[in-house]
Amino acid sequence: MLVYPIYQLGLISFFQYTQAQVSGGEPTTFKGFGNYSELFSDSQFWQVLLATVLFAAACVVSTLAVGCALAVLLTRVRAVPRLVLMLAALGAWATPAVTGSTVWLLLFDPDFGPVNRILGLGDHSWTYGRLSAFFLVLLEVVWCSFPFVMVTVYAGIRAVPSEVLEAAALDGASQWRIWRSVLTPMLRPILTVVTIQSVIWDFKVFTQIYVMTNGGGIAGQNLVLNVYAYQQAFASSKYSLGSAIGVVMLLMLLAVTLVYLRLLRRQGEEL
Amino acid sequence: MSLLRGLVRRPWRLAAEASALLIAVVVAFPLYWMVLSAFKPAGEIESSEPRPWTLAPSLDSFRRVFGQQEFGRYFVNSLVVAGSVVIVSALIAFLAATAVTRFRFRFRTTLLIMFLVAQMVPVEALTIPLFFTMRGLGLLNTLGSLILPQIAFSLPFAIWMLRGFVKAVPDALEEAAYIDGASRTRFLWQILFPLVFPGLVATSVFSFISAWNDFLFAKSFIISDTSQSTLPMALLVFYKPDDPDWGGVMAASTVMTIPVLVFFVLVQRRLVSGLGGAVKD
Amino acid sequence: MKLAPRFAVLLATAAVVAGCAPQTSDNSSSDKDDQSGTLRVWLFQEVGNDPKAKVVDSVVAAFEKAHKDTKVDVEYIPIDTRAQRVKAAFNDPKSAPDVMEYGNTDTAGYVHDGGLLDVTKEFGAWSEAKDTDPTAKQSVTVDGKLYGSPFYVGVRALYYRTDVFKDLGLQPPKSMAELAATARKIHKAKSDLYGLVVGGAYTYGAMPFVWANGGELATAKGGSGGSYTSAIDSAVAQKGIKAYTSLFTSGNCPAAKCAVMGGNDTITAFAAGKAGMAIGGDFSHSAVEAGKVKGKYAVVPLPGVASGSVAPAFAGGNNIGVLKSTSHRTLAVDLMEQLTSKATQASMFDAMGFLPTFTDVRDAAAAKVPFEKPFVETLAAGTKFVPASPGWSEIDSSLVLPTMLQEVISGKKSVGAASKDAARKMNDAFSSAG
Repeated sequence: MLVYPIYQLGLISFFQYTQAQVSGGEPTTFKGFGNYSELFSDSQFWQVLLATVLFAAACVVSTLAVGCALAVLLTRVRAVPRLVLMLAALGAWATPAVTGSTVWLLLFDPDFGPVNRILGLGDHSWTYGRLSAFFLVLLEVVWCSFPFVMVTVYAGIRAVPSEVLEAAALDGASQWRIWRSVLTPMLRPILTVVTIQSVIWDFKVFTQIYVMTNGGGIAGQNLVLNVYAYQQAFASSKYSLGSAIGVVMLLMLLAVTLVYLRLLRRQGEEL
Repeated sequence: MSLLRGLVRRPWRLAAEASALLIAVVVAFPLYWMVLSAFKPAGEIESSEPRPWTLAPSLDSFRRVFGQQEFGRYFVNSLVVAGSVVIVSALIAFLAATAVTRFRFRFRTTLLIMFLVAQMVPVEALTIPLFFTMRGLGLLNTLGSLILPQIAFSLPFAIWMLRGFVKAVPDALEEAAYIDGASRTRFLWQILFPLVFPGLVATSVFSFISAWNDFLFAKSFIISDTSQSTLPMALLVFYKPDDPDWGGVMAASTVMTIPVLVFFVLVQRRLVSGLGGAVKD
Repeated sequence: MKLAPRFAVLLATAAVVAGCAPQTSDNSSSDKDDQSGTLRVWLFQEVGNDPKAKVVDSVVAAFEKAHKDTKVDVEYIPIDTRAQRVKAAFNDPKSAPDVMEYGNTDTAGYVHDGGLLDVTKEFGAWSEAKDTDPTAKQSVTVDGKLYGSPFYVGVRALYYRTDVFKDLGLQPPKSMAELAATARKIHKAKSDLYGLVVGGAYTYGAMPFVWANGGELATAKGGSGGSYTSAIDSAVAQKGIKAYTSLFTSGNCPAAKCAVMGGNDTITAFAAGKAGMAIGGDFSHSAVEAGKVKGKYAVVPLPGVASGSVAPAFAGGNNIGVLKSTSHRTLAVDLMEQLTSKATQASMFDAMGFLPTFTDVRDAAAAKVPFEKPFVETLAAGTKFVPASPGWSEIDSSLVLPTMLQEVISGKKSVGAASKDAARKMNDAFSSAG
């Protein structure tokens, strides 16, 4: 169920394979690295790749920072505020991505949105500038993905024996020190998963960009790899080209994951 | 001494609680806007005077949602899919996570990374191979074609997550249990299981949400039998290329979000205080 | 860390196994032509679907009565899921319907995918077909063959605010030059309104400007191959692009806000009372009616270059076709004709406001509902259609034209450079799609 589709994916990326081939209208032909050379010779691909890497990195860092900070905050408050914050976060998490993106867009709309009114920005347009459009999407991505980090890390902290924390507190350690020296090492396996997952998801952001920047922003300035793959390949059923992009994404993410795990291992963390 | 400490700590906690509530308000604001838009009468969602309330709340949008053919059926289908995915993947993930953590075997790391690989590519790229697999299994147009891939996609993540929780349980505890004469099964279900339960809850919330909100598999594998459709399909009706119905979208999304919150309220007690066994909360 | 070599081994084994080709399905046309049984029909699910379903039910009832032992099973599918479902139907003939509704810009793609049945003969023999509007007929035609029957058309015209026009003593514009001048006058007098609200991602709002100036999206290469060459960089087309993009100024519709807008956004702005004029379709009626401007607007055809002329509009709409895999060929074609007959289209207009594709039925409809008059006039003045090439779906989904418009609007490229790039991308798509 997992290996087979990946195997097919790699296979498809070496063929001429569009809807016409899938439904048997035309024979499949072997293209070798044809799909890849088509991809690599497209200068837009490289621009999009760079934007994707930077944008994903910003999303991962922000999401992790917000998620972890709030998880610690949750352990410091009583039941009622904790439940309120958790429910709000859960709501954000549970909202379908298309709806979340639409709502955020409505909130920041220069003509119809309340945010510009509150901030006194007049009819400033958030989606016109490249960076401000990316920033708006980043806010939405953080909004819908920090709850996962928060709930997971919170669950992780709860699983740490409270005696350990009490002992540290009695020793007069500061919050930051407790987090650095006591919690982080104990939570490392969980943090590892959360980080890797965030990297994978944020590298593959699709709906938010697609909805909020109307398909990739003005003249494609806000395109990321997954949207690019959709527009260049999947929407017109060019599965082979899409698979080639998929393989490139897979290799990049795999490389990042392996490097990250190796760094962890160097720090003495066994996988 | 402890009295003094309490006095010093109290304002700190109050500040923390105040900021928690404030953050909750900010986080919930888009949700509030969604629900509000669902209740606004047509034409008021995008008006040049955005008001954080509505003077003429209307149920029209909800009527359009519930007035769809077989809406109740979609709801039940979604529950069946999400429910089976949560239960099956939680059980398998618990056993598998214990296996990959407590036992060392060849290719263990490779296997763990392979688990992640499927998530690294765009899902669209995988729907074609999966489509042929489903067709081969004769599952097209059945709920099975949604449950099976959803389990497959949520398992790797669940195993990775639970691994972290299983690892956090000190080895000494396991040794102590055996010294006390507990069997492996007894240790697994009566000591380890309750200990990793918060992690299980967190992963279940995750797999519930992703199964509940899935559009792509439902669009691709439920082709000709609308009675097997799920809730997101009822939401998609409102996305018309030339004339989207935002009121309907917001109302349908509100209806979809509520069961997730209910599910969470049901399980959150376990997340917050569910630790029993050897480690006292 | 021995991960890397292990992976190399894994990948190598995968490469060795890769001897065989990826999976395909066999979707050759069915030779069977059963005269009884169950026919499956897919129609698009509208937001208020009941009136549509009622009309369809009566057609189906009559059809089942006329054909013994025949059952018709109608399913309504959300429009947003059509791409996946139709592909899936082509891949799994068992799940495929016999008859389906589809957007007319998808025709060439579906034919290329080998999914639609050639009904040229049957359509030619059908007595009602002679009254079909030529553009509607063009939208079911690929390489001179017909692949369905037109169901309804949708077309855009110029919405304007009667109260604003009265206030400022303005008349509805008679030419494109007047349109631009009127737009600027409105914005100057009422700075909180866009004069004519335009969108950088609104392809079908921009195309009339190109067509009115004598430009074309693409020209057919001739011969029966049906391949196209882009004409978007021709001098006349560039003139049209310039005319449209020059509306994105602080004097009418500032680029910072209007460059990102699509067609829906412009209609939303108009409905909320933020614009003096907008280019909207007959299908935008309900959205505008629900807004603040209810009762304060009217519609005229979008003017062309010469005073008093009408700019050619894009003829959107839906068709109903028969799938190649059907095993009830005769029955399915008959049902397709019944679902798109004059009588059905007339009642469908009453129920849903879908504009009929038969000129006589449409004129009768316009006489009944004054709102539809400018749209019918626009259709009568001649409309245009997208190139009947499978490459069009790629051009559309990779946003070639919006990108071109936005490059000009944001000042990143000149009209000449942007249209040349767009033409190159279009030609790539035409040639790769075969």
